[in-house]
Amino acid sequence: MASKGGAAPSTYTPARTPTNKAQRPPFFTDSDVDWTRSDGRGFHQCRSAFFRTGAVNSAAGSAYAEFGNTKVIVSVFGPRESKKAIMYSDKGRLNCNVSYTTFATTVHGQGSDNKEFSTMLHKALEGAVMLETFPKTTVDVFALVLESGGSDLPVVISCASLALADAGIMMYDLVAGVSVSCLGRNLIIDPILEEESFQDGSLMITCMPSHYEVTQLTITGEWSTANLNEAMQLCLDACSKLAKIMRSCLKDAASPSKD
Amino acid sequence: MGVPDASGDLSSEMEVDAFRRLFPLRYFERHLSESIRPDARPLGRARDTTLALGAVASAHGSALAKIGSTTMLAAIKMEVMTPSTESPEEGSIAIDFHMPPICSPIVRPGRPAEAAPVISKQLSDTISSSGMINLKELSLVSGKAAWMAYLDIYCLDADGALFDAALLSAVGAFSHLQIPIVSLNDDGKIVLVSEEDDGTKLEDEPVNKEKRKLTLSSIPFSLTCILHKNYILADPTAEEESIMETLVTVVLDSSSRLVSFYKPGGPVLAQTSAVQDCVALTRQRVKDLQDILDETISGMEID
Repeated sequence: MASKGGAAPSTYTPARTPTNKAQRPPFFTDSDVDWTRSDGRGFHQCRSAFFRTGAVNSAAGSAYAEFGNTKVIVSVFGPRESKKAIMYSDKGRLNCNVSYTTFATTVHGQGSDNKEFSTMLHKALEGAVMLETFPKTTVDVFALVLESGGSDLPVVISCASLALADAGIMMYDLVAGVSVSCLGRNLIIDPILEEESFQDGSLMITCMPSHYEVTQLTITGEWSTANLNEAMQLCLDACSKLAKIMRSCLKDAASPSKD
Repeated sequence: MGVPDASGDLSSEMEVDAFRRLFPLRYFERHLSESIRPDARPLGRARDTTLALGAVASAHGSALAKIGSTTMLAAIKMEVMTPSTESPEEGSIAIDFHMPPICSPIVRPGRPAEAAPVISKQLSDTISSSGMINLKELSLVSGKAAWMAYLDIYCLDADGALFDAALLSAVGAFSHLQIPIVSLNDDGKIVLVSEEDDGTKLEDEPVNKEKRKLTLSSIPFSLTCILHKNYILADPTAEEESIMETLVTVVLDSSSRLVSFYKPGGPVLAQTSAVQDCVALTRQRVKDLQDILDETISGMEID
């Protein structure tokens, strides 16, 4: 067994033969190119979203989200006593953590805490949660990415806001997150892992659609102003559609218990 | 418990939920004396169990097991290693059990649950000693290359009987495992053979064309029971485990041979008759679990 040799033997994932390697799509200067996305979607078409609340019984609230191959579970615990020795505060604290399973990505063993995503998740939700409704206590939001299929962070954020709602934590609105990748002159929404790997730039918006307020906006890479404006509009539209799906998921979960 | 005259009569006046929280043991014993449990199960019955294969597309084999609300996700990734000199014809299995913070209010990030490494060790011991997997089937090129199967099990929801659910998901993942077809290239490295090209333009012969599935012999199944006074409670929930602390886990293989028996201490000492009763309950449970596994596998083949 593995424990026999003391130190674990070094292993490697067998590589694909180089001929079938995923290539960046042929390059284009026009905005109309003859290139289809590997999953057959249009450039401005999101993957179909699936949400379900109450995935984890032992948590105060939880949600499962599945966008194509991106699969995420978020559990919410609390409000409960703040464990760390922290300064007194009239407001509640939000504690976020995002981690990956070891099999989430194609290479084994990269699963661990994702500090960057944890902070981003915290910043995206902070503005939406009514922290003053649970003074002196902490609400823990823990996310586990079961499988990474691209656009992980926006899916985690949307799923987390749904889990918070499931836990009965007061919020101004649900937070929906969508990202757009820029490929040359083209904008593709809700990119999958492969598309993210050859993008020139990416933009993510998380917003509260009924308030028309943005809680987080990140832009990386190379963008032209015109593209940027178009991408933001695309994201905002997609966010409001996503929020409708999330809202109907909450309604579905609540309706059977009434009768 | 601020009530000064907290006596037996109180139970009739108090609300059920309050009684359950304040006097959990008495609450349970009242149920046990009627041969029933708070979730309406008889003492010897396990919770509803489901198994689903192929839950994770990025892994070579995966399974999701649910016992009541205890949920386990197991996935196997195959990597290539150089086999050790003492066993050049054998591959290897590395099993890891994780309890991420999402699964229970007790686990917090940075402070892993104590139970996780214990269950991890139990699982690897059980799987290796049951002889379910013939490590020779994981060999690719004798002395040069063999498979290392990384089995990672994540607890998504912890509600008691974690080992039972973890073992079931592990068995499910192994029976779902599809080993990728590979070949040995000129540099002595193992490379993937994509299924589309059908070997037409291949210079290297695949080394494992016939070995895509593992033959699982004598599959281990387990049942955890709680011993409390003279009662034996099969398949406990997290609440039951926290109140009554003596646990017994019996692992039997599909032909009812004893693979392992764990009784990690606890205030109740097991009588011989109690041990026999636990084994008898497990024998019944193994039949059910075998049926669930068979049904799940045949369901996959139809699709």
